[in-house]
Amino acid sequence: MIEARGLTKVYGDKTAVAGVNFTVEAGRVTGFLGPNGAGKSTTMRMIMGLDRPTSGTVTVNGSPFARHAAPLRDVGALLDAKAVHTSRSAYNHLLAMAATHSIPKKRVHDVIEMTGLADVAKKKVGGFSLGMGQRLGIAAALLGDPQTVILDEPVNGLDPEGVVWVRNLVKYLASEGRTVFLSSHLMSEMAVTADHLIVIGRGRIIADAPIQDIITGKGQIRTRVRTDQPDRLMHLLAGDGVSVELQENELLEVTGLDPRRIARAALDSHVMIYELTPLQASLEEAYMELTKDEVEYHSLITTGAAAPVQSGGN
Amino acid sequence: MSSTTLDPSRRGAHAGTGGAPAGGMSGTSTGPGPSFFRVLNSEFIKFRTLLSTLILLGCTVLVVVGFGALSAWGTGQFAEAAATDPQAAAAFAAQGGDLAVGVPTSGIAFAQLILGSLGVLLMSSEFTTGMARSTFAAVPKRIPAYAAKLLVVMVTAFVLTAASVYLAGLMALPILDNYNLNLDLASPQSVKMLLVNSLYVAAVAAIGMALGSLIRNSAGGIMSLVGLFFVAPIAFQLIPGDFFVEARKYLPGNTVEPMTAVQHVPDTLEAWQAAMVLGAWVVIPVVLAAVLLKKRDV
Repeated sequence: MIEARGLTKVYGDKTAVAGVNFTVEAGRVTGFLGPNGAGKSTTMRMIMGLDRPTSGTVTVNGSPFARHAAPLRDVGALLDAKAVHTSRSAYNHLLAMAATHSIPKKRVHDVIEMTGLADVAKKKVGGFSLGMGQRLGIAAALLGDPQTVILDEPVNGLDPEGVVWVRNLVKYLASEGRTVFLSSHLMSEMAVTADHLIVIGRGRIIADAPIQDIITGKGQIRTRVRTDQPDRLMHLLAGDGVSVELQENELLEVTGLDPRRIARAALDSHVMIYELTPLQASLEEAYMELTKDEVEYHSLITTGAAAPVQSGGN
Repeated sequence: MSSTTLDPSRRGAHAGTGGAPAGGMSGTSTGPGPSFFRVLNSEFIKFRTLLSTLILLGCTVLVVVGFGALSAWGTGQFAEAAATDPQAAAAFAAQGGDLAVGVPTSGIAFAQLILGSLGVLLMSSEFTTGMARSTFAAVPKRIPAYAAKLLVVMVTAFVLTAASVYLAGLMALPILDNYNLNLDLASPQSVKMLLVNSLYVAAVAAIGMALGSLIRNSAGGIMSLVGLFFVAPIAFQLIPGDFFVEARKYLPGNTVEPMTAVQHVPDTLEAWQAAMVLGAWVVIPVVLAAVLLKKRDV
């Protein structure tokens, strides 16, 4: 289990992570979704004790990473493809990492097999493709057979077969009761991989909910309602977890209540409604809104290169 | 029991409790952590698995042995000239006796440059390649990894320099013999020269590593090292004023001569003072680098 409390990181005058609170539970895949530069990698580096939080704390299984007696056996991380000396072979890199915890050579061979690196293990990492670098990073993360696995953008640069492999691997790890925390900037990838989703934007947590809730928009459902008795309907719909906003003269926006129940409440009280429009899940809109601000990213979308991002969109 | 497999059957017990709070799982480690000996072993594996490191070590041997041979030849030529030319004879009489004993260590200036740069590179490359994130994720206390790296580079520099100097001496013997010059590699002065110079090169490697850790950039680290050992002595000599004359004695590169002199040369540091100065040049940057390494983000 990973717990962040008031976790903050400030670089100069830029706040990368602004006092976030979240918990990553064991036994499920928790996705960490956010556009590039949202603070995902910074947060993960702080979990691994590589970056020091400006304020706040983050613990793994109850204690800060640096206090663990055998860190690699508790937490494995892929923070960066190729966090490796480019002139060393993949095998020697893993061997040196393993030596710090007396992890046997057999385990080094096992993770090489598991990640499909057997053919290139003796070659210099500098010549690796991005995808092979990712596989090596994942091999390093699994080296200590850790209870907690942290993967920063693991599918970047992987071919489609590799993407499916990572997807199955993380699900398998979670099914074994491990804590799995992986980041991505692709909503579509998260939708098929994660069980639970934490969404971050500009260093703040935007949403923290089960993936199903987020995809179906439960708790986030917004419905546009037009009626000639807006005040009466507002009164009827009021309740826990429901917010009703008067937007125009006869136009209401209802959050937290599905259209069927709005219609039922109106019918029961003989209030006429003349429009009832379910709106898209607001999370995705909010997410798209965030990414839209990044000019480079936006231009990619318009050329269609990042089409998968929009697959679940409006 | 194997703690190092991804065997589902082993983790099967966890799968059932997958949704349970992980609080009970804290202290999940089922094997040894990073002791200093293990970290040292890891750093040694990292050291010996880089081809560039091995090439630099080979270059050091070649340069020290090569300069030893050249120097033996040059000393012989000097002795030969002294036999016929009265001017050369006077010069040879003044310092010729010490020349032979200095032959094996004549390549030290280059050995220190190569091994000092190696010290810089071993640390700076961790940061330039991103390897540091792997290193310090495995050893989050950081200082053990730094200390292990320091130990590996200092011991290597000492042993390699000592071996190269001895080898240079062996190469020089027949050449000097040809000119009827004597060199006793087992004499106290020869042994002293070998040990002090080897320690000195180990110290330079340590300073290099501290610079690499502080600057985190290969070119910047090596340039600082060159500045300290090659540029500063010359600059201090060129700048007029008593201050620079005095300060020059305290540069790390000028501590070897007082430590190896047969008798104290006027206007230089005493041997023990030189040893203290060199020690300070090592300890201050090494400790400063350790403190900042612990504090800074990787």
